[in-house]
Amino acid sequence: MARDPKYDILFEPIQIGPKTLRNRFYQVPHCIGAGSDKPGFQAAHRSLKAEGGWAAMNTEYCSIHPESDDTMRVSARIWDEGDVRNLKAMTDEVHKHGALAGVELWYGGAHAPCLETRATPRGPSQYASEFETLSYCKEMDLADIAMVQQYYVDAARRSRDAGFDIVYVYGAHSYLPLQFLNPYYNKRTDKYGGSLENRARFWLETLEKVRNAVGADCAIATRFAVDTVYGPDQIEVEVDGMKFVELADPLVDLWDVDVGDIAEWGEDAGPSRFYQQGHQVPWTRFVKQVSKKPVLGVGRFTDPEKMTEIVTKGFADIIGAARPSIADPFLPKKIEEGRIDDVRVCIGCNVCISRWEIGGPPMICTQNATAGEEYRRGWHPEMFPKKKSEDSVLVVGAGPSGSECARVLMERGYTVHLYDSAEKIGGHLNSVVTLPGLGEWGYHRDYRETQITKLLKKNKQSQLMLGQKRMTADDVLNYGAEKVVIATGSSWNTDGVNCLTHAPIPGADASAPEQLTPEQVLSGKKPIGKRVVILNADTYFMAPSLAEKLATAGHEVTVVSGVHLANYMHFTLEYPNMMRRMHELHVEEIGDHFCSRIEKNRLEIYNIWGDGSRRTYRGPGVAPRDANTTHRWLEFDSLILVTGRHSDDTLHRELKARESEWEANGIKAVYLIGDAEAPRLIADATFTGQRLAREIEEANAQFPLPYKREVATWGTPHLPGGTFEIVYQK
Amino acid sequence: MKILVPVKRIAALEEDFEIRDDGRDVDGDFINWDLNEWDDYSLETAMQIKEAAGGEPEVVVVTVGPDDAEEVLRKCLAKGADRAIRVWDDALEGADQLAIARVLAGVAKTEAPDLILAGVQSSDHSHGCTGIALSALLDMPHAAVVAAMTYSAGDAKVRVQRELEGGMLHAVDVSTPAVLTIQLGINTPRYASLRGIKQAAARPIEELSAADLGADFASASRVRRMYVPEKSRAQMIEGSPAEQAARIAEIIREATGA
Repeated sequence: MARDPKYDILFEPIQIGPKTLRNRFYQVPHCIGAGSDKPGFQAAHRSLKAEGGWAAMNTEYCSIHPESDDTMRVSARIWDEGDVRNLKAMTDEVHKHGALAGVELWYGGAHAPCLETRATPRGPSQYASEFETLSYCKEMDLADIAMVQQYYVDAARRSRDAGFDIVYVYGAHSYLPLQFLNPYYNKRTDKYGGSLENRARFWLETLEKVRNAVGADCAIATRFAVDTVYGPDQIEVEVDGMKFVELADPLVDLWDVDVGDIAEWGEDAGPSRFYQQGHQVPWTRFVKQVSKKPVLGVGRFTDPEKMTEIVTKGFADIIGAARPSIADPFLPKKIEEGRIDDVRVCIGCNVCISRWEIGGPPMICTQNATAGEEYRRGWHPEMFPKKKSEDSVLVVGAGPSGSECARVLMERGYTVHLYDSAEKIGGHLNSVVTLPGLGEWGYHRDYRETQITKLLKKNKQSQLMLGQKRMTADDVLNYGAEKVVIATGSSWNTDGVNCLTHAPIPGADASAPEQLTPEQVLSGKKPIGKRVVILNADTYFMAPSLAEKLATAGHEVTVVSGVHLANYMHFTLEYPNMMRRMHELHVEEIGDHFCSRIEKNRLEIYNIWGDGSRRTYRGPGVAPRDANTTHRWLEFDSLILVTGRHSDDTLHRELKARESEWEANGIKAVYLIGDAEAPRLIADATFTGQRLAREIEEANAQFPLPYKREVATWGTPHLPGGTFEIVYQK
Repeated sequence: MKILVPVKRIAALEEDFEIRDDGRDVDGDFINWDLNEWDDYSLETAMQIKEAAGGEPEVVVVTVGPDDAEEVLRKCLAKGADRAIRVWDDALEGADQLAIARVLAGVAKTEAPDLILAGVQSSDHSHGCTGIALSALLDMPHAAVVAAMTYSAGDAKVRVQRELEGGMLHAVDVSTPAVLTIQLGINTPRYASLRGIKQAAARPIEELSAADLGADFASASRVRRMYVPEKSRAQMIEGSPAEQAARIAEIIREATGA
């Protein structure tokens, strides 16, 4: 099918300086955990998107000098010839698919803690980073400024040598150029501080120098947070933002604009919980009013209708995307081919981002289980190896892992029966999406539902069986499948078992009328009283989401948390606004407290640090710390137990216990995936489904094959002509 | 005790499709073939009667269709039908529902079932009359659009509830042998297990030609044209009230040819 002509405008080429973007789909710089040290990962991830139709692919932020070292987070680096060699793998692979490659030259100032290099970051003024609280920078004098600007020039030349077509001076997310522009950081009184012209000087000079160095060969781009969204004390688009664009316009070939800073960069990479597609437009739309150069904007654009509107209404010329390109590297191609319903729509959960925030693990994606696995496992999101046997597969459970496993097996040509007691694909996700702000997470289910429905038409032997009675081991044994995949999910604990005590809490019992599990809250069948206590030992979204839901419905909500409430939401950038919402809704948090016992309508809580700081050996049978005397009672009408989860793996256990009967019933193997194996993120559950489906012919497919590792290799110097041997100074 | 279940392989259309060059049917490239949804329910009804009687009653599925139609019979065998019969003759290409009923009547005379359970209608052509025509040809009592029924193998009559307009039900006793057309929702049709599917793949399908049945299968109607009706158009008329009125008058004149 051809593309809808109404989207033609998205496929028009655009000139950026000496280079041409083949269409308006542009992968903005985003982290993946590859940097310069995993060149295979970098090259495969970016070039896959080039194959999928994007016009340009960028590196993540790419450090220009050891003074800008973001360890433990993973940036790219273009410090020397060794980095050039490794990054050239990316540009070569991207070029093979007719796309452009860009590099985002980055200097972090005090936001880069230099934990590896131990260098001293320099900045416009001395400040302590609000992002990295232990790091300060040195205020630059004029010689420092010239020196750091030369770092940019040298890095730009190396970038050109590495084959990059687009060279950025990165000034969004409060990195160095924006630090000069923003009076929040810049307290100078010389020609680099004070007036807008002075504050803009560093950035303009840097652009000019970089342009003079490589502008004939490379398009010069700058990424600019046109509004830091803190109001009049910082950068506002209609004040400094537009004026800076006017000043810098002659020096750039491409504007990449967004909003926000680094400490709260969830205002840029807005999670779907708080921000919808195009949420930055009210700020970024001003740029085109003053720029004569192509402007690209971001905002989790996944819908070609919206993208077309952005272009035709003159808000931006180019559709920038990070997360949507991860969820579906073939987004442009699918629009081109009129396959809109095949798009894996980014759900905006920001689990991709969480890995960068955690500091190093490869990026993962909830929607696209192949993201990050392109090179090391050879997984292509749109390509599936043909089945290697005629075995038929029964998948019990159509949640995230089961539906993903079934989908990939069906793509591979297997006959699959996907079985669930629910009336809909999606498992627990179907109730999670009813939590405040999580509706878009349902795209995960929708994608699998759509694809499985299509695949069923290709193989009439395959079946989707919903609304069925729960299977017993006898049912499975008699079913006639050669291979059985158990994906029966997990449930919240009804007895208070938790990560702190690893034991039930006396009195915890979700069968009591005044105690509820999250599932019971979501099903809406059990009445909930006025005063609600949420007892929390989970570090992700369930407790704050339930608090929001219930407080919005008029309940008085107190969260008693024995762990850092919503800690993982720091990593997904949801934390700041989640906390603002808790505050707005008057949700009371009692942190560092957990529960020792529960009675009707009251629970006994204690401070988890109440057992004394002095540890003494007091002989066997006596605790080495003092008795905790902080216990007190807290009353509730309803208590919600968000203490932990457990796998619903009874069916698997029963089948394993009857392994001797498998052969007689034609069963060759039984596998356990997703939450049924161990409760985890939806992204990881989905991964286990994809992984098993791709490796199911292996002798012991329950366990993953080794992947291709990228590590520094002993005997190979990083620098061409360098040495790897141990050599001491003498 | 024997139950005959006539089934049909129906044509489900792709989202986008084209009409065949002769303008009398959809181009086969745009069709997904499947078992008629109503037949899932009539087969399930038969299977439940069979199981309630300890498995003794024989469930025979029959379809009228070319080689490819075999797949719907295998689907029924996979769900537990005992025997499957396929009748075909090239002369039946384009046959109407009366001709199909005549073929089915030929099979029914040979099989002599105690009960014939057909679907209310097929989802592609929706005539809703093959089952009833069959009862007329066999001179059997019938009940159409059966939404519930009470019957045990060997009963002399079947008590049915027929679905009427406005949510009303019509309770009727019908003496057997009889033809019932079964409505969606009367039960929850089962899925075939993988074991059932594998076993069905190896089961024989009894094939009969029209000549074997020795009857006249002439159709009483023929398809003249199949087409997508032109969509009516809506347009927003803008301008001052006078301009709008003038434009409306113009459209009316165009439409009435005045």
